Amino acid sequence: MSDTIAPAPEATSQRGTDRALVRIRGLEKHFGLNRVLRGIDLDVPEGSVTVLLGPSGSGKSTLLRCVNHLERPDGGFVEVGGEIIGFRHDGRVLRELPDRAVTRQRARIGMVFQQFNLFPHKTVLENIIEGQLVAGVRRKDAAARGSELLERVGLAGREDSYPRQLSGGQQQRVAIARAVANRPELILFDEPTSALDPEMVGEVLGVMKDLAATGLTMIVVTHEIGFAREVADQVVFLDDGVIAESGPPSDVLTRPRNERARDFLAAVL
Amino acid sequence: MSAQASLEDAVQALERRAGDEQLVAARLVARRKPGQWLAAGVVLVIVAAGLYSVLTNPHFQWNVVRYFFFRPSIMLGLLTTIWLTAAVVVVGYAFGIGVAVMRLSRNPVLASVSFAFTWFFRSVPPLVQLLLWSNLGSLYPTIHLGFTTIHTTHAVSDIGAAFIGLTIDVAAFSAEIIRGGLLSVDHGQAEAAKSLGLGKGRIFRRIVLPQAMPAIVPASGNMVIGMLKATAIISVLSAHDLLYSVQLIYSQNYLIIPLLLVATIWYVILTTALSIGQYFVERHYARGRGGRSTPTWWQVARANLRPFGVRREVAVA
Repeated sequence: MSDTIAPAPEATSQRGTDRALVRIRGLEKHFGLNRVLRGIDLDVPEGSVTVLLGPSGSGKSTLLRCVNHLERPDGGFVEVGGEIIGFRHDGRVLRELPDRAVTRQRARIGMVFQQFNLFPHKTVLENIIEGQLVAGVRRKDAAARGSELLERVGLAGREDSYPRQLSGGQQQRVAIARAVANRPELILFDEPTSALDPEMVGEVLGVMKDLAATGLTMIVVTHEIGFAREVADQVVFLDDGVIAESGPPSDVLTRPRNERARDFLAAVL
Repeated sequence: MSAQASLEDAVQALERRAGDEQLVAARLVARRKPGQWLAAGVVLVIVAAGLYSVLTNPHFQWNVVRYFFFRPSIMLGLLTTIWLTAAVVVVGYAFGIGVAVMRLSRNPVLASVSFAFTWFFRSVPPLVQLLLWSNLGSLYPTIHLGFTTIHTTHAVSDIGAAFIGLTIDVAAFSAEIIRGGLLSVDHGQAEAAKSLGLGKGRIFRRIVLPQAMPAIVPASGNMVIGMLKATAIISVLSAHDLLYSVQLIYSQNYLIIPLLLVATIWYVILTTALSIGQYFVERHYARGRGGRSTPTWWQVARANLRPFGVRREVAVA
């Protein structure tokens, strides 16, 4: 279990190395005239947890989706593990990569969605092993890892269930198992608990906490301030497409300097 | 007087309490529905009268029907109808998938051409198309392919013209059915697949298309059955299909009704076979939909055949 993802560092409160796994510079994204991201600079150290906060429409999800090129940036770049995502540097231009190259990059980055997005026509186990099969893992080995992951998210023995037979919280836990099955170096969470009934939020946050403790690099868009306070190494507050404030949770969550951040925190707490 | 009144009150109170218990213990009787029985009776009488007339009217000539039912020339026509339908549907759907994917493409040229194709060929009646294709020779007497020259009058036989015309018809209609099915799949499915590192082709084949099938199959069932019957129009080109084979016989012996019955019964048999096949295909693609297991073939048959009584809820997903 401990060998599956990077080994846990000694002190979980001070996780992360100095090396930035994710470097975002001058990132811009427009939808028509709507400038959703207006120059984002952000570093995510390897093995750390970054929580993105902000009012709806502030660009949190768009920023997250630029990291694995589900959205194509209109300016700036995202670099993961020293490799620019979705583009190739060619003299004075960044050329968008062919589909196959982007697909290969995405395989290194896991993602968990607000609406789970499990494949309803596939069983729980088939959902989890699909990404590994594409990566060339033999079905038997993929299934063994799938069962092991199911046990870790507290769903041992549910291999042959279909997603619709599970509760929302269980589905999201399967989605997390699916996202880490291929041993990604980075995992993105897009409001993973927003579509859940209140009593199921805890079980999903619990699995995410366990994951963070293994030293996996995580970027999380969420409104769960408690999770940010407890697990995040870095909290980033977005407002209107720019980073209004960022820093350790003890600063951003308790003594926000930015006025919009203060209003937002007062409203959600 | 007042003592008696209070006694009556007490008795009434007791009766009320006893009343609740009686209500709880009472058997519940469903509302009678005499209208339903009446309606069923009327319909049964009409059906019985119709059946009696069909079976006893000598002009149906059931013995003639029986005599011609398995004649070799009719078997040959039946075979033509079956393979033409199969070929038209398989090739038509292959093209239809392409047309639907083009229509959903972000490339404006591909999308517009796909739209124009669908618009045009849905507008032309299959019969008109058939006649056009079979007269291709007057439009293009020869086609030069560089290494060889084709004389179209020889190249396009009657069956060939039927195949081309009907295939294009199926492609145009199936493209719309498939497009609707693909649009019914939530966009998040493709995104989740992308984030797992699946390529475009694999996402289409393994994630999107299987989920579009429950929306595609019922409409396609209609389409295939419609095409089976539409192949009958090739008899106007004197192509030897099921209908033309009975027409050949009755044009000589004038036993029109019984021979048309032979064709009718064969069409009904083929359609029944297709419907049963559709049921199994639908059941296959219903995996993971709804919590309940899908009903077995026998449950569906019983639910549909049950004329009276409580109709048990059997959903064909």
